[in-house]
Amino acid sequence: MDDKTEVLEREQLDIEILRDVNLRLPAVAPREAFPAVPLTVDARLQTRAVGQRATRPDCRMHGLGQTKYIDDIKLPGMLYARIKRAGISSARIKRIDTSGAEAMPGVMAVVIGKEIPVNSFGPTFQDQPVLAADRVFHAGDGVAAVAAVTEQIANEALEKIIVEYEALPAVFDPVEAMRDDAPKVHAPNSNIYASKVVRKGDVEKGFAESDHIFEGRFSTQMIEHVSLEPHAAIADWDATGRLTIYATIGRITLARADMARTLKLPMSRIRLIGTTVGGNFGGKNEISQEPALALLSKKTGRPVKGVFTRSEEFTSSTTRHPIIMDYKSGVTKEGRIVARQIRLVLDGGAYCSWSATTLGKACILSPGPYKIDNVLTEAFVVYTNKTMTGAMRGFGAPQVCFAYESHMDDIAKGLGKDQLEIRLLNAFDEGSSSPTGQVLHSVVVKETLNKAAARFGWESQS
Amino acid sequence: MTDVTLTVNGQTRSASVPPETTLLVLLREHLNLTGAKLGCDVGDCGACTVIVDGMAVNSCLMLAGQANGRNVTTIEGLATRDRLHPVQKAFEDTGALQCGFCGPGAIMASKALLDDNPNPSVKEIRDALSGSLCRCTGYTKMIDAVQEAASVLRNEATKQLTDART
Repeated sequence: MDDKTEVLEREQLDIEILRDVNLRLPAVAPREAFPAVPLTVDARLQTRAVGQRATRPDCRMHGLGQTKYIDDIKLPGMLYARIKRAGISSARIKRIDTSGAEAMPGVMAVVIGKEIPVNSFGPTFQDQPVLAADRVFHAGDGVAAVAAVTEQIANEALEKIIVEYEALPAVFDPVEAMRDDAPKVHAPNSNIYASKVVRKGDVEKGFAESDHIFEGRFSTQMIEHVSLEPHAAIADWDATGRLTIYATIGRITLARADMARTLKLPMSRIRLIGTTVGGNFGGKNEISQEPALALLSKKTGRPVKGVFTRSEEFTSSTTRHPIIMDYKSGVTKEGRIVARQIRLVLDGGAYCSWSATTLGKACILSPGPYKIDNVLTEAFVVYTNKTMTGAMRGFGAPQVCFAYESHMDDIAKGLGKDQLEIRLLNAFDEGSSSPTGQVLHSVVVKETLNKAAARFGWESQS
Repeated sequence: MTDVTLTVNGQTRSASVPPETTLLVLLREHLNLTGAKLGCDVGDCGACTVIVDGMAVNSCLMLAGQANGRNVTTIEGLATRDRLHPVQKAFEDTGALQCGFCGPGAIMASKALLDDNPNPSVKEIRDALSGSLCRCTGYTKMIDAVQEAASVLRNEATKQLTDART
């Protein structure tokens, strides 16, 4: 027993004594459920965490139904906000008439895009409006926000808001959007808003040296995170000019910076309270409706709550990038990959959000965990008039994994080889370098593949 | 307005609500029981599941008026001062609660199953939880949890029987 373990045990004892008093329910989760020894271990050694049951410290509250998510919080005098969505993919807003909604009993305030002090935000490029002011870029864009004494009145008020649109040409296919004659989503800027190239060796030379060339196109669809808790926030702009936001956001410091920008408020006046997030998966990494709620609160002098409906989750929050992935590989007759050329086209939707990050990761990981001397990857992310795409678990890695592993299967089939064998022949070793030149350590691809194959009986299946 | 009187977690509660009020809104807004969650409002996700007269019900699809005179159990009615309900304990132990938003609904759906069937098969558990969507756990931990809770509840029942005999 080292000293560290002893200290930990003593701490546990103290807590044990406290718990025996049974002050009240709900009690906190028992401390001994956590692994008692710090989990940092040397590379390649099994950590003590594996095989242990670890209880989440917050699960007691979850299981008792006592966790307060945003929608469970009610402040005195609180109003309910709803956002009117454009429902048209590309248009100029000719006129917005909110007088019908404002005249309704129970409606306390309406906010439109023109009233947002700085109507743009985004983690990489600030190309996303809080509420569309002149131009609508996709059907899920908000055009006006209403605060009313009940959610039902707010919903009815949305129908009283009249918006006149002039429809503009739209583009929905990312490959089409790359053409010079395609409608520009954010004119005059090009639809290709970020790109990345990874080059290693010489692919043309590699293809010339290969015995066989395999080509394939793979594509994935748009996926919504569908976290069970919808996007939700409460804004409270108080009489001293300080703004408190309760938000279900994973990156609260970034959100605070975005709030400061959009509202032209010093950051010191903004207090952002990150509440328990009911599922994020990358979908709650940035602000959405929060600045509009803040302005509604400023106008009314009352706290304002906004909760997305499930359909708004699909139309107006970020999603996973659909990617069109073209693979070309040159292999020897033994199955060694000599060269691989990849072209990725990411459908970026109407706004950048976390696309630049996704593009980078997809591009770097797209050749797969294989030793290939000649690699060329070109990746583009393109604006289309669709729901914006952003962060979602893996940042582009799952899409390219689907493509390169499917491609490997095609190669194995074409050569009449075993799918496992061809992977073992090409997989990274300790000290292999990735296409970007990173020398890799703790590489256990082959061991993992062999163990997995043994466990599920690959030999007998093939 | 509709007058509703119902039993919630063993207590008689009354409220006067607009006729379109759902049971979920009655529980959350009028009775301050926010354990049942609103996830989709169309009966797909099961985050609002409560037990009405022994049946697991999507409370977003039931009008408050329809619950008049009935016996409703919510997640708040499971734990006692002394202990968690075995289903709650098992969900905690197996890690079936991650973000926790679907937890109350899934626990209520599981309890309704175990009240009916003390030894459900995996298929029966899957069937009973088919109306409860979860995006964190991948459901395997929930199935483990229900089996664990079932075993605890069966042992308790056996012990009660033997205790009664001796």
